[in-house]
This record gives sequence, C-alpha cells and structure tokens, in this order.
Amino acid sequence: MTLEWKHVTHALPFLLEGTLATVAVSLLALGLGLLVGIFVMLGRRSRFKALRALTVAYMSIVRGTPLFIQILIVYYALPALGLDIPRFESGVIALSLNSGAYISEMIRGGLMAIPKGQLDAAKACGMRSGLIWRRITLPQVLVLILPPLTMEFTGLLKSSALLSVIGLVELTRRAQQVIGETLRSPEVWLTTAALYFVMCFALGAVTRRLEKSAAEYRL
Amino acid sequence: MDFSFSIIVEAWPTFEAGLITTVIFCSVAGVLGLALAVPIALAQLSRSWSWRVPAKVLVEIVRDTPFLVQVFVIYFVFPATGWPMSSTVAGILALTIHGAVYFSESIRGAILSVPRGQVDAARAAGMSYPLTLRRIVFPQMMGYVLPPIGNQIVGLIKDSAVLSIISVPELSMAFQNVLGTTFAAPEAFVAVAVLYWLLTSAVTLAMSRLERLTPTHRSTQEMTSLLARVDR
Repeated sequence: MTLEWKHVTHALPFLLEGTLATVAVSLLALGLGLLVGIFVMLGRRSRFKALRALTVAYMSIVRGTPLFIQILIVYYALPALGLDIPRFESGVIALSLNSGAYISEMIRGGLMAIPKGQLDAAKACGMRSGLIWRRITLPQVLVLILPPLTMEFTGLLKSSALLSVIGLVELTRRAQQVIGETLRSPEVWLTTAALYFVMCFALGAVTRRLEKSAAEYRL
Repeated sequence: MDFSFSIIVEAWPTFEAGLITTVIFCSVAGVLGLALAVPIALAQLSRSWSWRVPAKVLVEIVRDTPFLVQVFVIYFVFPATGWPMSSTVAGILALTIHGAVYFSESIRGAILSVPRGQVDAARAAGMSYPLTLRRIVFPQMMGYVLPPIGNQIVGLIKDSAVLSIISVPELSMAFQNVLGTTFAAPEAFVAVAVLYWLLTSAVTLAMSRLERLTPTHRSTQEMTSLLARVDR
C-alpha cells in the first residue's frame, strides 16, 4: 500500500488548530505547575512536620505512578467525590499537578545555587524572610530555572498528548478525529508526529540557547 | 465515603494478570533497549558522520515526539507498509525504541565522563578500540550510568501504561476493566496507584543497592582534589 497525502493536506488546517490547543494547554499547565511547584517547595521547607510529610508523599506519588493513571484519576475520581469538573479543566489540573512535582525539584536545585552569603547579607540588613524570598531569592531562582523550565514545557507538549484519552481536543485528539473522517491513519499519524517534532525540536534549540546564557549569568 | 477492601480483593486476579504483563513488557523492552543503547551511543560519538547522523536523527525523532504518537505510528503505519503488527509486537517495539534512545543518552554522557586522555593513551599503547572500551571506558563509567538508567527504567514502567490504548492487557488496562465492572469505585484508583508505586519504588530501591555494590571509579580531577585534601 502506498501513502496518499491529499487527504492530509485537506485536514491540515484542522490539525494545526489542534496544535494550537496543545500549545495552549501546555502553557497553562506550565504556569499552574510553576505555582504548584513553588508551594510544594515551600511545603518541603515548612516548620510543620505534617506539611513536610504531606509534600514528600505528594512528590513520591506523582513521580512513582504513570501520568496516564493520574489523568484518569483526576477525570474519574474527582466527580466521584462530588466535584464536577469539565474535561478541559480536569486535564489541565492533572498535568499541572504532575508538572508541579518536577518543577519543585528544579526550584530546589536553583535555591541551592544561590550563595548563602546573600541571604546572610539580606538578613543583616534587617530584611524579613518574606521580603528576602520576594526580593532576593525568587527573582534569581526564576532566572536559573528558565532552561529546565523550557525543557519541562517540551515535556508538557509531549505528555499533553495523553489528554486525548479523556477526550480533550488537542493535536492527538484532532488526529483521531481526522482519521475518523478520512480513514487514512498512517498518513495522519506521520503528519501529527511531524507537527510535534517541529515544536519540540525548535524548543530544544531555545533551551540550549538559554542554557548558554544561564551559564554566563552570575549570581 | 466508604472504602471496602473487598472490591480490591475481588478484582485482584485482574490486577495481578495486568501487573505480570507490565513486568514482562518492561523487562523485555528494558533488556532489548539497553542492548541497543550501547551501539546507538557509540554511533553518536563516532568520528564518521555516516554513523553519527542516522543515530542523531533517531534520537531526535524519539525525543521530540510523544510516546503515545510513537506507539500509534508503529501500530498503524508499519502494517500499511506491509509489516503486520500485533499490539504485543507494537507495544514491545515502541517501548524498546523509546527506552534505547533514552538509555543511550545516559550512556553517551557516561562515556564522555571518562577523561579523553585515557582513551588516547590506551589507543597509543596499541589497544584496539573495542578493547579500550571494555577495559578502560566501560568499567569506569558504571558509577555515572547507573543512577540515570534507574530513573529511565522507572520512566519505562510509567510509559508502559500508555500501551493499554492499543489494547495491550497490562496494568492500566486491568485498571480500566475494573473501573468498568465496579462503576468507577475509588478503591480501583487506590489499588492501581499503589501497585505502580510499589513497582517503581522497588526498581528505585534495587538500583540504589546496585549502585552501592558497584565500585565507583574516580576521575583524575576528583583524585587530585582528594589527594590535595589528604596532604593538608
């Protein structure tokens, strides 16, 4: 059998729309994931033992179970608990909860890179810990974690494909819809793979750039 | 909310069969992937572009597309080009290629961690390249290669959950079957999460044991800094 591309060219705008949705979902999950990551990080350094134990358990569960299962759990289990969440929101929640655990690790690495002398100096100047966090630590950590964060964004672009399972219409779901119409699955899957490849490859180049400039950035 | 273990006990045979399938798939793909990873890593480090370019292309394609889409491409595109494909073969193939590429990246990094001068010295002393790899490079890179490989085996187990989409009867497929029969009982969610967590934790634990058993070789740089500390 030979591949026929004319069906795919017709469906290309439809697939590109899905690509946009994939980017939107991933960006949203990245932003929320960053928030989750900051809170998890704060929880890990908390004075309260229970809060520390809770975040350790959270990290262990998120990193020890498949994202696919996590997506299904958020989609099916939350309604069972009486929370009615539409699939778009539930998909974004699952992705950002997952991503947050990994981002908190990045933040931890960034925090370790900040010289202790700066914090001592800030304290000696009479800054309170909240102010030190806002003015000294966080701005520098955000610059430091920019390269791994773009890598996480690439990861999210790829893992958001799993959201097709709960019927969230992103690139992979669109591809399945196009296949339903055209019945040309090999061509559509190759095109879809190419679309993902272009996005992730370009972001990879951006990541390498940022890594270079982050290495030059002095604390 | 009630939580009854009887639901889990009743569904246990389904879960058990799924768990076994997951372990078998991951073991086969893990071993095959590791075996393929070494040549891929060496090809990427090769001086000749006819080895380097194909290896680099494979690595980039696998790293820059979602695993789910790779599974679909293997499952649907290969049959169209005349390669019959069952879900088992497609699943193992996808998992193997995915694993091989990620393993090869850590192996490549570990090979590069062995100082270049040692390789040059061995070659100058008349050792062949394969012998240099076996005697000089591989023994020293173990300490660098085991931690990332452990993480990637955990990744492989987690990625294998996707294979239920092409109806491989592994653990997440078992979970979805139980969801159907128990009307989405919360017990099923807890059971599947715990099973995956136990599996990945067991791998992490085994890998850290293995790391402790492996003698760590130190690079010349580390040795000089250690010796400097002793002098003081």
